[in-house]
Amino acid sequence: MRRGAIVALVSIALVVAAVTTAIAYFVDWLPEQASEERQGIDLVFWVTVAICIFFFAIVASVSIYAAVKFRVRPDDESDGAPIHGHTGIEIVWTLVPTICVVVIAVLSAIVLAQNDKPKGDPLRVDVLAQQFAWQFTYPEEGEVRATNLYLPVDRSTRLVISARDVLHSFWVPEFGQKQDAVPGIVTTLIVTPTKTGDYRLICTELCGQGHALMRTRAIVLSQPEFARWLREQQQGPAEPPPGGEVDAQGTFVQTCGGCHELEQAGTSGQIGPSLNELALDPADVEEQIRKGGGGMPAFENDLSEAQIEALVQYLVGDDA
Amino acid sequence: MSHVTGTSVHVETGHGHGPPPRARHWALRAGWVRAAWMTGFFFLLGLGIVVFFRWLGGYDPTLDWEPVIVVAGLTMAPLGFLAGLGGFDYWVSYALGSPTRPEDHSGHGAYTWRDYFRVNTDHKVIGIQYVSSTVFFFLAGGLMAMLVRAELARPETEFFDTQTYNELFSVHASLMIFLFIIPAFAGLANYVLPLMIGAPDMAFPRLNALSFWLLPIAGIMLLASFFFPGVGAGWTNYPPLSTEQPFGNVFFSMAVQWAGASSIMTALNFLVTIITMRAPGMTFWRMPLLVWANFTTSLLVVIATPFIAGSQFFVMFDKVMHTNFFDPGENGYALGYQHIFWFYSHPAVYIMMLPGFGIASEVISTFSRKPIFGYRLMALSLMAILVLGFSVWAHHMFVSGMATYLRVPMMVTTLLIAIPTGIKVFSWLATLWEGRLHFSAPMLWALGFVSMFVIGGLSGVMLGAVPIDIHVSDTYFIVAHIHYVLLGGSLFTIFAGIYYWFPKMTGRMYNERLAKIHFWLTLVSFNATFFPMHLIGVQGMPRRVATYEPQFGDWNLFISLSSFVLGASFMIFVYNVIVSWKSGPPAPANPWRGMTIEWLVSSPPPVFNFDEVPQVVGNPYEYGVKGARHAILNGDRAAAELEPVRST
Ligand code: HEC
Ligand SMILES: [Cu+2]
Ligand SMILES: [Cu+2]
Repeated sequence: MRRGAIVALVSIALVVAAVTTAIAYFVDWLPEQASEERQGIDLVFWVTVAICIFFFAIVASVSIYAAVKFRVRPDDESDGAPIHGHTGIEIVWTLVPTICVVVIAVLSAIVLAQNDKPKGDPLRVDVLAQQFAWQFTYPEEGEVRATNLYLPVDRSTRLVISARDVLHSFWVPEFGQKQDAVPGIVTTLIVTPTKTGDYRLICTELCGQGHALMRTRAIVLSQPEFARWLREQQQGPAEPPPGGEVDAQGTFVQTCGGCHELEQAGTSGQIGPSLNELALDPADVEEQIRKGGGGMPAFENDLSEAQIEALVQYLVGDDA
Repeated sequence: MSHVTGTSVHVETGHGHGPPPRARHWALRAGWVRAAWMTGFFFLLGLGIVVFFRWLGGYDPTLDWEPVIVVAGLTMAPLGFLAGLGGFDYWVSYALGSPTRPEDHSGHGAYTWRDYFRVNTDHKVIGIQYVSSTVFFFLAGGLMAMLVRAELARPETEFFDTQTYNELFSVHASLMIFLFIIPAFAGLANYVLPLMIGAPDMAFPRLNALSFWLLPIAGIMLLASFFFPGVGAGWTNYPPLSTEQPFGNVFFSMAVQWAGASSIMTALNFLVTIITMRAPGMTFWRMPLLVWANFTTSLLVVIATPFIAGSQFFVMFDKVMHTNFFDPGENGYALGYQHIFWFYSHPAVYIMMLPGFGIASEVISTFSRKPIFGYRLMALSLMAILVLGFSVWAHHMFVSGMATYLRVPMMVTTLLIAIPTGIKVFSWLATLWEGRLHFSAPMLWALGFVSMFVIGGLSGVMLGAVPIDIHVSDTYFIVAHIHYVLLGGSLFTIFAGIYYWFPKMTGRMYNERLAKIHFWLTLVSFNATFFPMHLIGVQGMPRRVATYEPQFGDWNLFISLSSFVLGASFMIFVYNVIVSWKSGPPAPANPWRGMTIEWLVSSPPPVFNFDEVPQVVGNPYEYGVKGARHAILNGDRAAAELEPVRST
């Protein structure tokens, strides 16, 4: 190959590499990094991107150069040089990619092993996914329950994930980690938040009509704040004493509001029908809450008798 | 020599043509009338079977529409349709001991447009039937994509309720995969492969005809699913969501059976044709790469397709017969489905790529006027992809909850596939080097394919790395990746192939200017549509949603607008093809000065392809080698044949 061709090829490759690197660098590709696991993921991401840019630049420079240099007029009937192959160069372009993918594979395997391991003594949170809501239980902290995921910063959490009906998937983009919830088996995921804040928690596995709305929040608190939150939950009437007053509106907003519109409670869920003008008798409403059906989960096991009663009263009672 | 396909003038020849006169009543003759009443009759037969057995078993109600739809509607009626059209005539006569009509090829050739609507055993007619009907399903699937993008233009719900939206993207993907990409390649190969290896037809012409007619059945089932809601669990149809879908989900399960049966039969046909019917002198190492590509693809199809057939049967049985393959509540295993499904559907990615690799090799070599670089390594890479392709399925399941130890080995095999794939890309580029490049439409599409496929391949390497995959799986990054691979890859090569062989298939030239506009418009709008999806995916937009966070609103609006341009660009293609087929200038036998055997015969080829058996004397891509020939039809005429002869 002539020296001129090599200079041209290298310069085109450098220009392409510079442009693609600029796109990689100046565009805000990855969401905010808020977990230790994301650090590893980001490392693999950028190393792989760098390797991709390398190959893309080569391919682009050869094609651009060839398209400009070897183009002929339509009426040119000559043939190109009868080159059938070149063992040396074929070995090179087998070996170089091999080395690159080995680098990616080894790095990925190390990061994966790290991200599978909790740092220190992890907090356990049981995650229950169902159409179309999340529920989080803290079994080692007095069975505290929540519909948002509360986590302490700088401590590993082991999420123990199960599904009630169909497949779902747990993802917080800022944490990077993702894991399907599979009915019939239990899966786990390690997350170690590094930044306090309020993040989106998204279901990423198609799970039916309400899939797009199966979202809640992951709230990372400082360790003292988290301890305070836990204490409040433990003391507060999560499971109200029998006969005690139940906060019907609060229960509705927390449990039902994501799916149902109800003016009185200020909710605007769109998965189920609006309950503004409910024309059912109390028995049917109670049946619907207990057994669910038609896309609505059953709440028999999740709500106390008193809560169910209060909800029925709240929706279709005399004072409703 | 008479021209018999397309609209060219038919000249009476010594060969018989059209079915010989038969003393059958018109309603009993194979054709659309018989197809119509036999469809109805078989439906009633299926209905009778269901009712009879339910009555016998004392089930209530005796007339239950769900089993009736499966048995009578989706199984018996299509069989009746095929039988009525004449798909089984020969075998039925044979089985019944009545006189069979020996295959005298009198049914070959198409003389009017009506002949394309008959069971025809001519591989050239079948090839055109395939390509035209797959383009129809492509337009239908494309329309659905437009509707999906219309819904996604704004973050809130706009036009569709969620179930309809879910069905739109599910049926879009199913049509594009099962009724467009896979059969479009099968159709192109059906036309050119026998010509390329110097064979008079496929090995099993009657099977070939039957394979084609299974396709419209599958396509109509998928389209009909909008009247029987239930295909709303994605084209992956994962249980338990799929078994929980409304009853119409069986339309997907059964459509996959019909399309799958079609591809298995075609693949067997290709394998036997390639192995047994090559012209004298054509050793495996002298086969054009398109033949190699279809050889490996057919192996993939034959080995892998039964797995998706099985997985869909199990889903349907769970739904209709209340078996418990996948229902966890009844000790079923939900992840089992994903393993079986991807054991087909990963190789299916290569079923959708390898024939395109073959087309790209033909086109790039011809329009660079150079031998393909590293021919043997190109063929061996295909075989390497075939073997490795069966060891990577679980890379679709890195976050699924499968056994965790599977992840690293599957990542390694996945990344290894980049090596043979890279060899192919580099060899195409090396073929350009020092060539004499002609940027005609087929070449533009082939080079467009190489560059888009490189982007899709690189994002594939990213997805192969488990930590990255964990972050981006089930997001728009995946949507971007598959469209770079299947649209930038498969679709671009399908267009390269259609433009490349259009003169051969129709005997007419297409309009080069329109073809180029089509290419550039598609290339630009394609990138505008799909490149930003990488970004919104990484940032947190999940796939398969009708509503999304407002922060992605601007990008989605841009993507939707670009996608409408992309959709419109195909109208140029449709216009060009229809007008050129009707009134384009007549095509010479060899407009591109290609060396493979299909260019040695007239455009379109004679009914029986070759009047004499071609003799293969050399490698297929000896451009620039003085005096080299790939094949000769007749020693003396060889030199003359290679000139672009006007066949009048
Ligand atoms: C995951 C979404 C979801 C949640 C959470 C949910 N529902 Fe529903 N709900 C639905 C759907 C969907 C329907 C429609 C069912 C049908 O059409 O059969 C429905 C129906 C109802 C109905 C009957 C409405 C009618 O007009 O027929 C009532 C009452 C009701 N829900 C009350 C509740 C209450 C109370 C809660 C909280 C404990 C709740 N729902 C939580 C989705 C939900
Ligand atoms: Cu979901
Ligand atoms: Cu795959």
